[in-house]
Amino acid sequence: MEDVASRIVDKAIALGCQDAVADVVENRSYQIRFARNEAVISNQWRESNASVFVVHGKRVVASDVRDLSKTDEAVERLVKIAKTSQANPDYAGIAKGPFRYARTRPDPKVLSLHEGGKYVEAAVGGALDQGAKECAGSFWKYEDEHFLATSNGAEGHDHRASLYLSIRALVSLESSGHGIACASKLSQFQPEKAGQKAGRIAALARTPKPAKAGRYTVLFDPLIFGSLTDQVGGRLSAWAVLAGLSPFGKKIGKRVASSQLTLYDDGSADSIARKRFDAEGVPTRRNLLVNKGILKTYLHNTSTAKKFKTKTTGNAGLVAPDSHAVFVKPGDRSRDEIFSEVKDGLWLTNTWYTRYQSYVTGDLSTIPRDGIFHIRNGDVVEAWKDIRVTDNLLHLMKNIVALSDEAEQMMWWGEVSVPNFVPYALIKDVGITTSNQ
Amino acid sequence: MNAEMDLVDFAVDQARSKGATYAEARYEKQDPENFILKNGVLDALYVGHDQGIGVRVLVNGALGFAATNSLSKDGVRAIVDDAIKIAKASRRKTKITFAQEDSIAMNWSVPESKKLADVSVEEKIAEIQGVDRDVMQLGFKIAARFFNLSDNRIRKFFANSEGSRIESYSPRLRVFYFLTVVEGAGVEQTSRNYGWSGGWEGISTWGLSDRVVEEARSMHRSLTEGKKSPEGKMDLVAGPQVAGIASHESCGHPTEADRVLGREAAQAGKSFIPPDGLGMRVGSELVTVVDDPTVEHAIAYYLTDDEGVKARRRYLYKEGRVTEFLQNRETAAALGTHSNGASRAVNYNVEAIVRMANTFVEPKDHTLEELLEDVKFGVYMKSFMEWNIDDKRYNAKYAGREAYLIEDGEVKHPVRNTIVELTTPAFWSAVDAVGKDLDFEAGFCGKSDPGQALDASMGGPPIRLRNVHLR
Repeated sequence: MEDVASRIVDKAIALGCQDAVADVVENRSYQIRFARNEAVISNQWRESNASVFVVHGKRVVASDVRDLSKTDEAVERLVKIAKTSQANPDYAGIAKGPFRYARTRPDPKVLSLHEGGKYVEAAVGGALDQGAKECAGSFWKYEDEHFLATSNGAEGHDHRASLYLSIRALVSLESSGHGIACASKLSQFQPEKAGQKAGRIAALARTPKPAKAGRYTVLFDPLIFGSLTDQVGGRLSAWAVLAGLSPFGKKIGKRVASSQLTLYDDGSADSIARKRFDAEGVPTRRNLLVNKGILKTYLHNTSTAKKFKTKTTGNAGLVAPDSHAVFVKPGDRSRDEIFSEVKDGLWLTNTWYTRYQSYVTGDLSTIPRDGIFHIRNGDVVEAWKDIRVTDNLLHLMKNIVALSDEAEQMMWWGEVSVPNFVPYALIKDVGITTSNQ
Repeated sequence: MNAEMDLVDFAVDQARSKGATYAEARYEKQDPENFILKNGVLDALYVGHDQGIGVRVLVNGALGFAATNSLSKDGVRAIVDDAIKIAKASRRKTKITFAQEDSIAMNWSVPESKKLADVSVEEKIAEIQGVDRDVMQLGFKIAARFFNLSDNRIRKFFANSEGSRIESYSPRLRVFYFLTVVEGAGVEQTSRNYGWSGGWEGISTWGLSDRVVEEARSMHRSLTEGKKSPEGKMDLVAGPQVAGIASHESCGHPTEADRVLGREAAQAGKSFIPPDGLGMRVGSELVTVVDDPTVEHAIAYYLTDDEGVKARRRYLYKEGRVTEFLQNRETAAALGTHSNGASRAVNYNVEAIVRMANTFVEPKDHTLEELLEDVKFGVYMKSFMEWNIDDKRYNAKYAGREAYLIEDGEVKHPVRNTIVELTTPAFWSAVDAVGKDLDFEAGFCGKSDPGQALDASMGGPPIRLRNVHLR
């Protein structure tokens, strides 16, 4: 497959392209979806494709080539199309290699795993033991292998594999909880613990009461705090800033969060999305994005970096830079200590459907789901339902008052798009609204 | 006979010979092309040539699905083995069954007056650059412009072990745009989405330049003349875009039978409508909401679904009551009924699941002027920006983008950030008049794991709601 990637790049250069990148990917992932406490379908993929990026006279064309036996024809077609396209004056090339990459290898026990039923059963069992009646979710074994070549001398191979389980446990339609298990090593994979957490929250959320709108101090569970930090990571892409899709424009060096928040992106660290290199072949690394509340950098590829007069952060995607994995530096208090600080507030455990009224201002709302709890003096006094967080991303980040001392890896359908390592977060003055009728 | 259909037949035969009680195979070839014009600059052009085959089997009452883009008999044999093996490993206590449906032999395609494949990249870029030029001549600050033109040509070959054999071709065209208008410290943002099943001729049906220019003008007017939206109980006239999103979110999604039965519980959620909820009152007698894949040129047009079942119009809510769930063969069997052809997949490599197509409020007989003239005090919310709804599809929010105060039947000044935050029954029960002029917008509907963002459209005529709480 290295040969295929190199052949694509060589062909593109021979046809007059100034830059070319080919990332040949073999996907061998496997999944079990479950609902009503048992598997509803099992899925297996055997796919290979080449993500190709060619630039001819600053005219940028990207593609996925599926038929790897006919790459020459595919590249010829792309170059022909590129010649009829238009130049992008902002295009500034791809990073110059060659590069040296970290020697990471997937866990052989993950690679040899071909049956996930027992992990589903462990998760469901964990939830039912806590009082749940119905569970649904997904078990994933992710496995893909990348062979990358660029016209600037980068050549890389990266075999990635990890395990993931997401479980929602329900006592009833309005009493539910969610748990997540992520691991790159089989020995660290804890589906039963995820099920227990989901079941425990569901049981605690029995007979929820209608909520009262207002402004509250809110304790965000890692899953929902991860949804917020995922928003931060995504909006820190320089591409989003340039497209008017970010509240972080013109805020480098300025305060964007409370001093409690230090946040970095790191594709090279152990996570279920660890990768050796970005789409230009640049080695992934740790990039400090927010230091004690001060914005330090956006996420860049070579072109956006030039536009912002800086260097690539190794976050290139095929076209736009994006986060690999977001890490929040934990605080210094235990989860229980933070709970005890809540005199009259809420504990939210999950959310979905985050939408913006304005990406530039950061005005948004998101709808908590699963357990929603009213807390007094550190104790859950009752479960609530049917609320919406109606606030502003910057306001929420600036009002972080405490973070717990342990971060958990979160990733979840739609809301947490890349791994986010997040602790519990206590945020003051959070806007909560409800349906008026 | 062609090679693709041969391969599909081979997959089904293989699966049956290896113990599947039911098998289906779906080959898809997609030729997507799209580009982004960002602030007047062509960011990148994406051109795809995607093809592969997916096989779904029912073995011992369990489902297995496997997919490959290796289009050889060896490649297909391997995924059939995979699908059988993982289905057998499921060890289900309750057996999945499919509702019995007629087998179909059919070949359908969407006509193109001007074939998408014959339109050059230059022509497509020039079309959008023309729109961008028009909007830049307005003379006020448009801080960010983002246009995405995309088209796709989808060819499918489907066969199942019950004798269905279907070939189809569906060309689709879509424009998405996103604008940011700034005036002083004020910012307005909008995004709109138009779709078409057919050829390049679709581009001229939207009046795109006029729509974008009108939208930008309204954004500027909101910033310069807009006042705080009134708060309290009043009448609301919701434009087609708002009626459309509400029909999609609070009528279409809660009537998806897989949600109702809990199959989507961990992802897109469940439904406030229980499995025995047909007949439940959710709105006034004027509210009829349909989902119809056979609306010509709508972006989610199709004549057979991805389980080989004929498409037809579905009445989700009729005269204010829940009348029909969206069904595939699995959910139909569980609920003791038949599929209504709502099973779709975004590509060859994912299972088909229950999906909406083109969902809309059925029009009646009022003009917009008639809806407005009878309002003493209220808001005309023509479009929205922010929206969301909970995962049981009961609590929805629509935040106005273009909205105006109505006083004594007259449209007055713009109002900013009008918030409609209501339950599904409160919203639909307040409807006391329905307009006659139907309009659609396109959208991507997200569901399933792995996520399937699928073409959908939504629409309606303007509708009037009486005495609802706005803020």
